[in-house]
Amino acid sequence: MMLLPLLLAVQIREDDSALVLRMQRRDPLALAELYDRYGRLAYSLILRVVRDTGIAEDLVQETFLRVWNRVSGFDAQKGSIGPWLLAVARNRAIDYLRSAGGRERNAMEYEESDHPALYCDMEKDILASDKARIVRSALDKLPPNHRQVIELAYFEGLSQTEMAERMGQPLGTVKTWVRTALKNLRDELAVVSA
Amino acid sequence: MNCNDLRDYYELYALGLAEDPERGEIRAHLNRQCEVCMKGMKQARETAAMLGSTAIPAAPSAKLRRRILASAGYEQRGFGWAPALAGALVFSVIAGVYFAGRERDVARELDRVTGISRQQNMELTRMNEVLAIINGADTRVSTFGGGKSTPPSGKVFASPTQGVVLIAANLPPVPAGKTYEMWVIPKGGKPQRAGLFQSTADGSALHVQRGRLDPNADLVAVTVEDAAGADAPTTTPLFAAPIRALVP
Repeated sequence: MMLLPLLLAVQIREDDSALVLRMQRRDPLALAELYDRYGRLAYSLILRVVRDTGIAEDLVQETFLRVWNRVSGFDAQKGSIGPWLLAVARNRAIDYLRSAGGRERNAMEYEESDHPALYCDMEKDILASDKARIVRSALDKLPPNHRQVIELAYFEGLSQTEMAERMGQPLGTVKTWVRTALKNLRDELAVVSA
Repeated sequence: MNCNDLRDYYELYALGLAEDPERGEIRAHLNRQCEVCMKGMKQARETAAMLGSTAIPAAPSAKLRRRILASAGYEQRGFGWAPALAGALVFSVIAGVYFAGRERDVARELDRVTGISRQQNMELTRMNEVLAIINGADTRVSTFGGGKSTPPSGKVFASPTQGVVLIAANLPPVPAGKTYEMWVIPKGGKPQRAGLFQSTADGSALHVQRGRLDPNADLVAVTVEDAAGADAPTTTPLFAAPIRALVP
C-alpha cells in the first residue's frame, strides 16, 4: 500500500512520455488525449486571464496547435508537457490581453518562455490537484496587497510599473510587495514540499 | 553579476517582471547554460506553473475538442478566405523586408504581423458569427434600457436555431476579479449559463452565445459574477431583455 503513490507517479511519468512520443509520430489520437488531460486546465487558466468564454476557446485552440506544431523539439524523456502547455496557454492569453488593450507586447520574452527545453526535468505531477490546493492555500495566506500583485503579474501580465498605476501606489511599494510576496510563497511551498 | 546576485530575480524573470540589468544578466547566464541559474529558473518556472493551476476550474464547450482536432488537419473542413488573407499578408511582409537583408527586423516584423493576423482572424470569425445570427431568417430583436435614465441599454438578437447576440452600451465597470455573465432564462425554469464577457473601456460590449435556444426561453439577462462565472446568478441582473415573443 505504501508503494501506491510511487507506482502512480511512475505511471504518470510513463504516460506523459509515451503521449509525447505518439504526438511526435503525428498520432492524432495523442492530440485528443493531450486535450483530454490538459484541456480543462488550459481553458480555466485562459478564461481567468481573458474573462470571455468565446475568446478563451479560440486561445485554447491556438495553444494546442502551437504545442502540436512544436512538439518535435520536446524531449519526451526529460520534459513535462503539462507545465509547458500551461506556459504556452498563459502566454497566448496575456499576449491577447496586451494586444487588445493596446499595451506593448513582449514577443521575445513570450517566445523564450514558450520554449519546450525549459521544462526539462520538472516534477511530472506538478499540476496535480493536491498541489494546486497547496499553492492556493499559500496564496490565501498572503496579505491582500501581496496576493493581488502576484495575481496581476501572473493572470494579467502587468509589469510592476503598470501594477503601480493600476493600484495607485508608488512603484517602490509595489516592488517591495512583489518581492516579499514571492519570497513568502517560495518559503511556504518549500515548507510544504519538505 | 554572479549567480548569487541573481538568485532573488528568478521568479520575477519567470513571471515576466524582471527588469534590466537583472533580466539581461539572467538571459546571458541561461544562454551559456549556467547550471546554478538553470536550476534556479527551473524552480521558478515550477512555481509559475503551479500558479496557473490555481485558476478556478471551468469547462469549455464540448465542441472545442473537435475544433482542435479539425484545425490540426484530422477532420475534413472547408477553407475560408481568412487563412489565405493571413498567408498573403505574411508573404507580402516577408517579400518587403527580405530585400532589405535585415533578418532580425524580418523576425520582429513577422511576429508582429502574425500577431495582428491572428487577432484579426479571431475577430473575423467572431464577426461572422455575429452577422450570421443578426441576419438569420428566424432572428428577432429585443431592445432594453431605452427611455430609462440609468444605463445600460442595447439590443438582443435572438435566433432560435443559431443563438443570441448581445450588443450593450453604458455598462458599469466591473470590480477587479469580477466579470459579466449572460443568462438565458426559460419561463419557470432555471437560468442557463450563456457565457462570460468583458466590456470595453467606454462601457460597451458585444457578446455571442452560439447554439440552439431553449424553446421556453423567456429572458436574456446579465449579472456581475466572479471571474470564473457562476452556475446560477448570484447578483441582481443589470438588465433583462424579454425574448419570449421572439422564440416560436
